[in-house]
Amino acid sequence: MIVRMSKVEIAGMKELLEDTLEVLREEGIFQIETETVGFIDRAEEEYISTFSMDQKALSEKLLLEDMKVRLEELFSLMPKITTRRSYIEPENIIDTLRRLLPGHIKFLEGLMKKKDLLQRELSELIRYKNFMDAIEPIIGEVEKTEEIDFIGLTIKEPEAIPHLRKLLFKITDGRYELFTNRSSDGTLAGVLITEKRLSEIIRKALRDERIPEITLPSTIEGLTFAERLRIFNEKIEEINRAIQEINSEVQRFTLRWKPLYDRTLEWIDERLSIMKATAHVFETRMCFIIYGWMPSDAVTTLSRRLTERFGGRVTLIEKEIFEEDLERIPVMLKNPPYFQPFEVMVRLLPLPRYGTFDPTPFIGLFFPIFFGMILGDAGYGIVLLCLSIFSLRRFKKKKNLQDVSRIIFICSIYSIFFGILYGEFFGEVGHKLFGLEPICIERRTAVIPMLYFALAVGLFHVLIGLLLGVITGIKKRTKKEAIAKSIDILLIIATVIAVSALCGIIPERFVSPIITLIIILLPVLIITGGLLAPLELIKTIGNIISYARIMAIGLTSVLLAFVANRLAGMTGNIIAGAVVAGLLHLINIILGVFSPAIHSMRLHYVEFFSKFIEPGGRRFEPFRKI
Amino acid sequence: MEKVLIAFAAALAIGLSALATAWAQSRIGSAGAGALAEKPELSGTVIILVAIPETMVILGFVIATIILTTK
Repeated sequence: MIVRMSKVEIAGMKELLEDTLEVLREEGIFQIETETVGFIDRAEEEYISTFSMDQKALSEKLLLEDMKVRLEELFSLMPKITTRRSYIEPENIIDTLRRLLPGHIKFLEGLMKKKDLLQRELSELIRYKNFMDAIEPIIGEVEKTEEIDFIGLTIKEPEAIPHLRKLLFKITDGRYELFTNRSSDGTLAGVLITEKRLSEIIRKALRDERIPEITLPSTIEGLTFAERLRIFNEKIEEINRAIQEINSEVQRFTLRWKPLYDRTLEWIDERLSIMKATAHVFETRMCFIIYGWMPSDAVTTLSRRLTERFGGRVTLIEKEIFEEDLERIPVMLKNPPYFQPFEVMVRLLPLPRYGTFDPTPFIGLFFPIFFGMILGDAGYGIVLLCLSIFSLRRFKKKKNLQDVSRIIFICSIYSIFFGILYGEFFGEVGHKLFGLEPICIERRTAVIPMLYFALAVGLFHVLIGLLLGVITGIKKRTKKEAIAKSIDILLIIATVIAVSALCGIIPERFVSPIITLIIILLPVLIITGGLLAPLELIKTIGNIISYARIMAIGLTSVLLAFVANRLAGMTGNIIAGAVVAGLLHLINIILGVFSPAIHSMRLHYVEFFSKFIEPGGRRFEPFRKI
Repeated sequence: MEKVLIAFAAALAIGLSALATAWAQSRIGSAGAGALAEKPELSGTVIILVAIPETMVILGFVIATIILTTK
């Protein structure tokens, strides 16, 4: 249901503003109103203005905002690890922390810079090593003389080699050798051997072609392959050790300081949220005034708390709600535990306006019934029941998942119930194994009775929707709307009786009085509901027919289960049959969760809600701790 | 011959309405996905919009069933 709200004014001495906001934030039941419409009388307007911060508060705000930015910078340099919670109150040491913070950022930045350089050096070394590993076996046998030069290359695209060879042939007139080999990191390493006098021209051509040359560090020039390898390995090990040391140091620093800085950031956020809230506060010469909304049943508690805390220097006054306020009253939904999970479905749509109906209890009542009617298989119901229980126990901290699991739990019970009524347990397996017989209807063969049943359910559901629409109209004092909806109800019932009489379900003598009634009611409908009202009536009849999907989707579900069992029987092998049946039933269960859920939701959103819900409610967002 | 015509009529009733629903849902679905990318809070409205054309195929199915079962 939609919680009854009160329009509230809190006023007190200016110096008590921050403490009052602190109390409101702790209570978390008060939504501060940013607009003054409906709160300030015209006569009072000249004495009331928006609250402006004094110089001290303003400089504190700027200081805290600056510190928050710096703290976020510090956290970005720290590894993401879970640390203990600090219970030190930052308020008392905030100045010390503010002085320490730049030094800590500098310290971490220095370590990160050092680590970055080492990592870059390491990747270079690994690149050289990979290159040497690939090239050395090829050029090891080439005689090294004064006239010969070696140019190392990394070739990214192997397709470029023919083009490179053509280019080299043109420059050197064929006086070159190019060896390539795949290195361990997957790139193609190459070495170009040519005369020393040609090497400069070749290097320039390679630069023009954007083929990167690899030049080995001068310290290892002239060393043997084994010596180079040893030096590389030693250096890599040394760098890895240095990186490890930096990581340990950062870890130690984080474990020591992060809890305190976490708590500080939390405290800063709390302070800033109070300061930001002052932007929506009003003031007179001596007092502050806060306007807002809160649940009516909490007004006394908050009033008592304010009196106890401030000894009457801060007062709470409940103001009269006018008709023009209705648009601005925030909407808060509160339902009994059974219906609460279904609020997830209501939240998918815009909230209903204050003063109308909360659709949650209706979804809670009808959604599982429709779901059960469509799925209607005790076997599938048991599987869903087990899955929902597992999910409820496994994901205790995920609220949305808990809500969805609860909905599936309730729906699975209805599926089992309807499965027993239809005599279905994994299709006709129940009948074969333990002689399960349909109690009321066999869906696979009784298509038309099932269609009538679905339409009857639709008629009942839509009429409830229209009845709620009538009540909403009366509550809103829109008489014409209420009368039009009442006539809609009468006309629908009359149409159903007329159709039943024409089909021979009830005696034909009812036809003529009913048609006379329809002829009388139609003009009244046009007068009260407008020219489009008959069209709306036809749409409503279409809505009722739309409930035929309960039969249609249910029939596909039962036929799929039937096919799964038939195919399993046709394999002629117990194991293959069990696998085929298991897989097909699994597909049917997956479809059986989505399809009935989507269609039941649609029946509510489109067919049912359109009769009484007025969207456009403003969400209740109280001022509270984040 | 009559049986063939009855079966053909039922097939047309379900087939054409299924095609119409598919076409409508494809257009609404792509537009809805685009809208959701910019405004995720519209998910409820988009579900409704995508579900609206389904009535056509349901009605087609009902008509096909009535054609096949009426003697």
